[in-house]
Amino acid sequence: MDFELNEQQNMLKTMARDFLSVECNKVKVRDLEKNEINYDPEMWSKMAELGWLGLIFPEQYGGTGADLLDLVILMEEMGRNITPGPFFSTVALCAIPLMRLGNKRQKENYLTSIAEGKSIWSLAVTEQRSGYETSHMNCSADYDGKYFVINGEKMFVPYARVADYFLVVCNTDKDTARNSGLAVFIVKAKSRGVKVEKFSTFAGDGQCRVRFRNVRVSRQDVLGRINGGRKVVDLIMQWGAVLKCAEICGACQAVLDMTNNYAKERIQFDKPIGSLMVIQHQLVDMFTDVEGLQYLVYHAAWLLSQGVKADVQVSMAKAKANQVYQKACIDSVKIHGAIGFTMDHDLGCYVRRIKSAEFMLGDTSLHLEKIAAGLGL
Amino acid sequence: MDFKFSEKEERLREEIRQFARVELAGRNTIAGMEEESNDEDWEFAMSMSRKLAEKGWLTMAWPKDYGGQGASYFEQHVYADEASYWGIPGTSMGVSGIGWVGLSLMLFGSDEHKKKYIPLIASGDPDGVWCTAYSEPNAGSDFANIQTRAVKSGDEYVLNGQKIWTSCAHRARWCWMAVRTDTAVKKKQHGISLMIVDMKSPGIMVKPILNYAGVHIFNEFFLDNVRVPVTNIVGTENRGWYHLMQSLAFERHSMAPQFFGSARRILEYIVKYARETTYNGKILAGDPIIRNKIAERAIELETLKLFGYEITWKMSRGVIPVYEAARNKAYCDFFMQRLATTGTEIIGAYSQIDHASTWPRVMGLITRLYMMFPGLSIAAGTDEVQKNIIGQFKLGLPRAY
Repeated sequence: MDFELNEQQNMLKTMARDFLSVECNKVKVRDLEKNEINYDPEMWSKMAELGWLGLIFPEQYGGTGADLLDLVILMEEMGRNITPGPFFSTVALCAIPLMRLGNKRQKENYLTSIAEGKSIWSLAVTEQRSGYETSHMNCSADYDGKYFVINGEKMFVPYARVADYFLVVCNTDKDTARNSGLAVFIVKAKSRGVKVEKFSTFAGDGQCRVRFRNVRVSRQDVLGRINGGRKVVDLIMQWGAVLKCAEICGACQAVLDMTNNYAKERIQFDKPIGSLMVIQHQLVDMFTDVEGLQYLVYHAAWLLSQGVKADVQVSMAKAKANQVYQKACIDSVKIHGAIGFTMDHDLGCYVRRIKSAEFMLGDTSLHLEKIAAGLGL
Repeated sequence: MDFKFSEKEERLREEIRQFARVELAGRNTIAGMEEESNDEDWEFAMSMSRKLAEKGWLTMAWPKDYGGQGASYFEQHVYADEASYWGIPGTSMGVSGIGWVGLSLMLFGSDEHKKKYIPLIASGDPDGVWCTAYSEPNAGSDFANIQTRAVKSGDEYVLNGQKIWTSCAHRARWCWMAVRTDTAVKKKQHGISLMIVDMKSPGIMVKPILNYAGVHIFNEFFLDNVRVPVTNIVGTENRGWYHLMQSLAFERHSMAPQFFGSARRILEYIVKYARETTYNGKILAGDPIIRNKIAERAIELETLKLFGYEITWKMSRGVIPVYEAARNKAYCDFFMQRLATTGTEIIGAYSQIDHASTWPRVMGLITRLYMMFPGLSIAAGTDEVQKNIIGQFKLGLPRAY
């Protein structure tokens, strides 16, 4: 048993914290929220140079061969600082399934370019009436003898406006029982028939509606197997979710630190408000929640990195992350008072991302249900 | 990062399972709960403590020089978890001897103390049973406020005063007691001493206090000119407060694996019950609210497990836990309440039936936890006290009390 980060992880953590504090301060975060593309291409290139994009790819695909726990540490720092951009969608949602389930040709074609910062990817899975369970998906891919033809609409696709490629989860066989007729397609964003419309979200984080109208995709652009799409989604729901949890956990740590510092500095009734027991105990509860979340995330990521089935532990981490992030932010606003409720205060940057984090890769009730099923209920 | 137990630790777990299957056949107990309340249960607990002593498990944490096994912190962790899962009684011989008196004597007891008391505790016999007397009517969370006076007279102290909430005083042979030896001090933390009191001394009167479940665990305890040899002072006179802080840390550190073990078993039973029980024609496990609540408790259980691993890992690296022990105690309190409440909601009206009668569900485990958790959460420091410790020592906030 060992809770310690190794030397490489500590270096990565320090490097990430230094880099982000210089390259991505909160003024920039706020600017990018309002910016048309919601990310900074220059920072993106620097992240590629630092080796972050290909961090966990094998060396032959331009990566450094690090493992999931290393990426968890990096994601935690990115969440702590708030790092707008398509890193999560490119690496966690798309590159990982390409790396683990793609064929040799797909890996050769796409991974190196991702590692070099030359292509941005996103995942198109949820719809107006269908979430990550994919049991009631409408978006379909019909084989016309030569091509698969995709028709349908996807919602809340991150950074679709700037993506070069999508992984699109489609129904391939409407007659089969639920979830057995899915496939995941690699679709060029510039393909004829793809239309992107950006949502105006609180976080300004580039989520979009993407419509596919008679978009033709060749058979070799299927990731995994035809009718085997659920396997790809399941992988994303584990590896992607644990990375989203790491990002959320980093954000929670930042909120905790910010609130704790404020409670020491803010004087009312001639003393720091942190010396009032009711404030102090709220901070302690926040601290215990965040530390517990961090261990749940590390443990789930460790299990996955060991190749152990960890769906229950991942769901525990995600359900907890959703709850802790929301509670920490709201308690923090209350402890800060009115100043915490302003556009100029950094706290709002974290608050504006609560719902974006919560609904990405499964909300609390979906994960609680997965835990119940995993317990044998 | 690594979350595996070693093969040696896993073998120990298996041995404890075997022991529990053989020795506990047919008994349904929750570790540490109520064993001192009636004579029959107490006798069984003492018979088990002797067996645990023979196995070497009772004092596995102690160094080999003191008859222990010098077990690693992780072996102790596995033992605390697994013995609690099975509810093996007698693991702490009441409350104090195994848990903190022995370890504290090794740190700041005299050679004479070590020679006399340590083998008694290690034997698992009734003569090695201790109670701990800290609280007084006016010294609860404000523990430094103790008033029980010890006045030196020749080679003895004369003790007068009152202790309260003393668990196991009606079973104990010895008492680990905090007394005031100096009243002319600026800070009330000064002038406190720690001493060993023979429970057979004239002038001691122990009166039972029944808890609201009707169970006799704690007592009040009057001292009327009780004479104690000066050699019974543990550590330095008037420095008792600092010894007590260490002793309390011993008391709190094993709480997470212990309660994790019991809670793990209770949650398993809750799941089993929900799967096997129909109500209004529907299986309980199909009810989305029940599924939801059980899933929430499972997350809390997992969190407690990891908090327990973390503190054990830190101790194994030589760290003396401060806020970690307080965090785990407060988290146990929070989780105990949630688990007991969810459990009673699921077993429904049966949760009001006495576990010793004929109709209890889930062997009365949930009912017992429900009736005990408020008391357990106050023992060893309320969660408010724990949160003050975390706020001050981890978050660096000013004292809030």
